[in-house]
Amino acid sequence: MKIGTMSKGVALFAAATIALAACTSDAGTEDENSTSPTADATATASGTKDDTVFVSVGEDEWDGYNDLTPATYSTYNSVINERVRQTFVYFDENSAIQINEEFGNVELISEDPMVVEYTINEDAVWSDGEPIKYEDVLLTWAAQKFTDGEDADGNPVALFDHVGGLDYGERVLEGPQGEAGGKSFTVEYENPFPDYMLTTVVDFPAHIAAEQAGVSLEDLVTAIQGGDVEALRPVAEFWNTGWLSPSAGELPDPAIALSSGPYTYGSWEAGQSLTLVPNENYWGTPPATANLVFRFASADTHVQALQNGDLNVIEPQATIDTLDQLAAIGDAVTVGTFDTLIWEHLDFNFGEGGSLADSLELREAFALCVPRQLIVDNLIAPVNPEAQIMNAREVFPFEADYDTIVSAAYDGRYDTVDIEAAAAKIEEAGVDTPVQVRIGYNTPNPRRTDVAALIKDSCDQAGFEIVDSGSSEFFSADLPSGNFDVAMYAWSGSGQIASGQNIYASDGAQNYTAYANDTVDAAWDTLTATLDTEAQQEQTIIIEKELWDSLFGIPLFAHPGVAAWDSTIQNVAPTASQSAIVWNAEKWVR
Amino acid sequence: MTRYILRRLAISFGVLFVGSFLMYVLTINSGDPLEDLRESTANNRDTLIAARIDNMGLDLPWYQRYWQWLTGVGGCFVGRCDLGTDRSGSDVLSLLQQSASATLRLVTIATIAAIIIGIIVGILTAIRQYSGFDYVVTFLTFLFFSLPVFWAAVLLKEYGAIRYNDWIADPHVSVLQAVLIGIALGFVLQGVMGGRMKRRLLTGGVTAVFTISALLYFTSVGWWRSPALGPVLVILVALAFAVGITALVAGLGNKRVLYSTLTTVGIGSVLYFVLGGALDEPNWWLLLGLFASAIVVGLVVGYFMGGYSRGQAMGLSAVTAAFMAFLTFADRLVYAWGSFLQLKPRPISTIGASTPNFPGDFWETTLDWGAQLLLPSILLTLISVATYSRYTRSSMLETMNQDYVRTARSKGLSERTVITKHAFRNAMIPITTIVALDFAALIGGAVITENVFGWKGMGAMFKTGLTQVDPNPVMAFFLVTGTAAVIMNLVADLAYASLDPRIRR
Repeated sequence: MKIGTMSKGVALFAAATIALAACTSDAGTEDENSTSPTADATATASGTKDDTVFVSVGEDEWDGYNDLTPATYSTYNSVINERVRQTFVYFDENSAIQINEEFGNVELISEDPMVVEYTINEDAVWSDGEPIKYEDVLLTWAAQKFTDGEDADGNPVALFDHVGGLDYGERVLEGPQGEAGGKSFTVEYENPFPDYMLTTVVDFPAHIAAEQAGVSLEDLVTAIQGGDVEALRPVAEFWNTGWLSPSAGELPDPAIALSSGPYTYGSWEAGQSLTLVPNENYWGTPPATANLVFRFASADTHVQALQNGDLNVIEPQATIDTLDQLAAIGDAVTVGTFDTLIWEHLDFNFGEGGSLADSLELREAFALCVPRQLIVDNLIAPVNPEAQIMNAREVFPFEADYDTIVSAAYDGRYDTVDIEAAAAKIEEAGVDTPVQVRIGYNTPNPRRTDVAALIKDSCDQAGFEIVDSGSSEFFSADLPSGNFDVAMYAWSGSGQIASGQNIYASDGAQNYTAYANDTVDAAWDTLTATLDTEAQQEQTIIIEKELWDSLFGIPLFAHPGVAAWDSTIQNVAPTASQSAIVWNAEKWVR
Repeated sequence: MTRYILRRLAISFGVLFVGSFLMYVLTINSGDPLEDLRESTANNRDTLIAARIDNMGLDLPWYQRYWQWLTGVGGCFVGRCDLGTDRSGSDVLSLLQQSASATLRLVTIATIAAIIIGIIVGILTAIRQYSGFDYVVTFLTFLFFSLPVFWAAVLLKEYGAIRYNDWIADPHVSVLQAVLIGIALGFVLQGVMGGRMKRRLLTGGVTAVFTISALLYFTSVGWWRSPALGPVLVILVALAFAVGITALVAGLGNKRVLYSTLTTVGIGSVLYFVLGGALDEPNWWLLLGLFASAIVVGLVVGYFMGGYSRGQAMGLSAVTAAFMAFLTFADRLVYAWGSFLQLKPRPISTIGASTPNFPGDFWETTLDWGAQLLLPSILLTLISVATYSRYTRSSMLETMNQDYVRTARSKGLSERTVITKHAFRNAMIPITTIVALDFAALIGGAVITENVFGWKGMGAMFKTGLTQVDPNPVMAFFLVTGTAAVIMNLVADLAYASLDPRIRR
């Protein structure tokens, strides 16, 4: 048995190792004395702590400096770019719009005609030292103004490949008015525009676009003011392609991808991470922490990564499992739950073939038997204990004016299930029972399947026959063709005041249920024509009340969101807005 | 032979074509690519929808979209590959190049590790059939084989990363822990070694005592945070390897081979000191060059010292030289662990292929890279090891019961010669097929592993493509895995033919 030799070998090896295990590397002795560079961070003169915070908002790769082309327009992209390029406004932790005073000021100086005055901070400069000025504002407008020829169908083709189309250019015909090189300017809207605060009036550095296109800044201004499309073509060419990053991992040249915020791009590892570092030329409050690293990690890896310190701030999937895991980690992490701007609703089909379309009584009966509280308790409350039924469509429960609007528009009549009243309503409608109701939604979606089952349990008792007609073709086929009685899906809000007109007005582009109501239409017209917030609220109440009374549909709940962070990091505040949890990342500090 | 290869290639091509067609049609019918936009209330929604329809060609009928993709891929034959763009307009070919490198790195390492471990374990269990060791390994392989990957990954992260990092911050092994680990290891080793009760006790006892004292000693000198091997240990281990491999393959009676491998170790030991300075801040090319020259040195030594068994001496000396080179490399890496821990106090990460902005030198960066690779590789390896060891075991047992093995034994050949020369070679024939096919399967299997460890490999590309109903990334994934499967299949057939002379015509 030669194998015996082997065991002798092992024994020899063992003995040798014992004899020689005294070997340790000398790094160990230093180890005790010198502290690690990351653990003991030092504050620099500028007030920025030389430290690193790892954050992940999802697994999607950063796409490029210009996030305003249709191809690069995504929240994942803008979440990072918003820390690099500031604008006049930001969303705070309640998703309310606030004026960014470090950048400048916004003031509505006249309502008729509607004129907004903007003032850029005197010290505001791009990261190459060039002041942020009127020219930049003018280019931003030009990118949504000019067309170049027509396509095959005779529609004008935009000169700039801007994701907003020609929206801004159509609302503001003459463009921002100001002096070349100036720091203040006015914007005059053609029609009253309640969402003017959301208009992005400055995005990219015009002097870079001019330089890269081979024209002088003066010529660029002249070309824009004179509407000279020929002269603007090279600028548009650069705007459309020059600020993109087609190969992942190669950051754009820092000389052209300028920062106007507390951070600028530091490094980028394709598929792994993007690091933001302080912008040396930032005039305002420097970031509290020097390195902000966005790691591209899928949400289901977030919790363990947070526990292991690979991530310090996370926004994982909002499930009950996630919360349990986070709770198990203990005090080392802080958990925040909140309502997102995505909200679930049931909409009645008013079109041809909708079984509840012609009878208000039947819709009321349905509303009376939908167990909204049970749905929230069973499916949402486990994730967000403070979750409540949503009783409005245009405001969210966490917004300041929610209570005012709901108390004026809705008396709580559908808050609790009343099977008997529902049955009575069906009788009143004088139709044969059971009344078949097809609930359409997009599959696969286990939560919506559960909601449909809960509705069936309750409403079948009242005399309905609920049919779960969830389908993977819901959005592409069933919804457009009206092949449903009740549609269940979610809208994601965008913080706009007037976006609901598209959904609830009779001719709205997103009015999929053929709802038509003169009161609602009129109220929307009044709302969008005024800039007075109180008048807007009045109209919102009228709209909400009418939508409840005529039962356009039933709002259910706002989707819950979960965020968690290393408890040693201060100033983290979860928000529902699209800026995500990093909305105030420049204030985070250990 | 050429005709056979060509015929196989033609058939494979047809299979790929039909597969791609099915895959494409299934992918574009798997959902609604505009779903997220339809729920959006943004005022630029129509522009976004129009842009996506344009990017993805959603206004074209399905056969036209497939035809576009097919002609783009067809361009590869004339050097103009066009795999299309994903839904946001990025070029899929460049996405593929990036993700394929991450995936192949992971899969290659896992495959090699799994082959080595799997075959060794398989042979050992076959030799010790129906022993306690065999039963334990059988139990474990079935356990690993049926592990749900995502669950195992979570466990691995919990114990391999989070708990380990907590421990390494202040490494301490208590006496009780040391005794338990020592006894467990001793028990396992006596099972592997086998023999009479006295020998078993001796093996187990020595191992246990050694392990316990080593663990306690390491803790007392702070070895866990600042380990080192040192030249003496490197040389001793290399000598043990040289003797061991000679004993295993050639037999210690073959003095020529023994002296050849020992001389190689001697030259390696000299080089260990001579090249010390060059290894302070090397690069991969230098290391690769040194590795290659080590093998050449081994071959040369074997050539001049081999005498009558020149071939065997050259082979074994080259293997010994490679091992010695690897050991020197490992010595440097282990030495860098202490400074690596200072740069990265929690060494094992749960996500990512590298630590962002890692500042270390070559050795520390390599450690970081390895630390990130460790957990996903372990996971992939565990699953494949199960298959390999089972197949090796059964194949080995089958050969061991063959008549020619009995003949070899009755001729009076040593057990070593019977196993390594007669049984092992023939047992390897069916394993070749499994290994080749498994490589392609592993790329597919890596989808989940990559996902749970936050690697942006082909798995991520496949998954995002599928959830976004975006066919081009999915097809790129298919193209790579499909081609790998087809090629590996062919390789397996060819290897089979070269290993088994009966198949050749």
